[in-house]
Amino acid sequence: MPPRAFDDTIPPHLDAAFNYARWLTGNDADAEDVVQDACVRALRFFGARREGDARAWLFTIVRNTWYSRVARRGRARDATSIEDTSGEPADVALDPEALLLQQQAVVRVRSALEQLPSEFREVIVLREIEGLSYKEIAAVIQAPIGTVMSRLARGRDRLASALRQAPTLVGHLR
Amino acid sequence: MTCVDVELECDAFVDHELDLASRTALQDHLLDCRECRQRVDDRVALGRLVRSLPYHTAPDNLRARVLAPATRRRFRRMPTLAAAAVLILSVGGGAALLRSPSMGGTSGVDVVAADIVDGHVRSLMVDHLLDVQSTDQHTVKPWFAGKLDFSPPVRDLASSGYPLAGGRIDYLSKRPVAVLVYRRQQHPISVFVWPAAERELLPLTWSTRGFHVKHWIQGGMSFWIVSDLNDAELSGFVRSLQASQ
Repeated sequence: MPPRAFDDTIPPHLDAAFNYARWLTGNDADAEDVVQDACVRALRFFGARREGDARAWLFTIVRNTWYSRVARRGRARDATSIEDTSGEPADVALDPEALLLQQQAVVRVRSALEQLPSEFREVIVLREIEGLSYKEIAAVIQAPIGTVMSRLARGRDRLASALRQAPTLVGHLR
Repeated sequence: MTCVDVELECDAFVDHELDLASRTALQDHLLDCRECRQRVDDRVALGRLVRSLPYHTAPDNLRARVLAPATRRRFRRMPTLAAAAVLILSVGGGAALLRSPSMGGTSGVDVVAADIVDGHVRSLMVDHLLDVQSTDQHTVKPWFAGKLDFSPPVRDLASSGYPLAGGRIDYLSKRPVAVLVYRRQQHPISVFVWPAAERELLPLTWSTRGFHVKHWIQGGMSFWIVSDLNDAELSGFVRSLQASQ
């Protein structure tokens, strides 16, 4: 008997899993490894899955896979502490005249979001890009809804202030 | 409500996570407070910027690896899980097959589809199918103006055999939505319309409790239709509606 239920449940969310993993890890190679490992875990735990949003369930596994990897590697860089305030946006090397304003905006926003500590970055990605509700985000990051709310607020504050330093985006924000 | 309250609730407000009472109170405050309006506008603009980022889709080779036979074999080697899978297939298999191909908005698709059916059934039970009763699209369309923050596309499909009956407002996924009602013989068809979320969903068909639900995104609008009409005639309706947009 082929695992049809798995095939119906997981592959449709592969793009979302990869997108989330890409934002967590910051690079394609790690994102691919994490998603592949997460899918193997998902297969293993599929029987124990509670009814509900399969996508949020997969996000939870992707997240746990990534953080257990980070812990193993001891790569502090990937798990920037929430207290870490050294969030200066990286100086993105690009020729302003060679790029359209929109492209600049994308680079700036992406860079600013990538510079956010992961605790803030992931709730913004889950909310804005994946459209999860607070309740769903709370389930994914295994934290109370109050934590989701405060991280979203603080993360957005930081993101906004980072972007205000980028002159090309003033028009987008104001 | 004070400016400090708005500062605290601003994110929940733009995320549509406030209950109706708080939402209304906050909106009232915004009418009088330019500073708070700016705060909310900034948050909305920030969200738009983040959502404008390119989406990282899974590379083909990853997709192939995840679905590779090697992954499957791991599955089959675990007898308890295989048994669990059989159980899922026999008990929940039908539900799994109905599961949507993609999710979006603030709720899962299954949740939205179930809400759509509920909205349709409720409107039939309390005889609240229509707030504005007219077969004239030029009467129905202006009726929505001022009641919604978007303009739903209203088309009469009488020439295709699906006359417009009217419209109503419903509240769904934490926002007011337009509902256009068409008829095919004695079968009402509710068409729920609202501006589509940022990410496109694949077209979807869903059936429950004798109702069929169909969903697609067209022209920036999210369309959800529900009816007890048979699938063939409902598909004909969908084609006519899509062609009219």
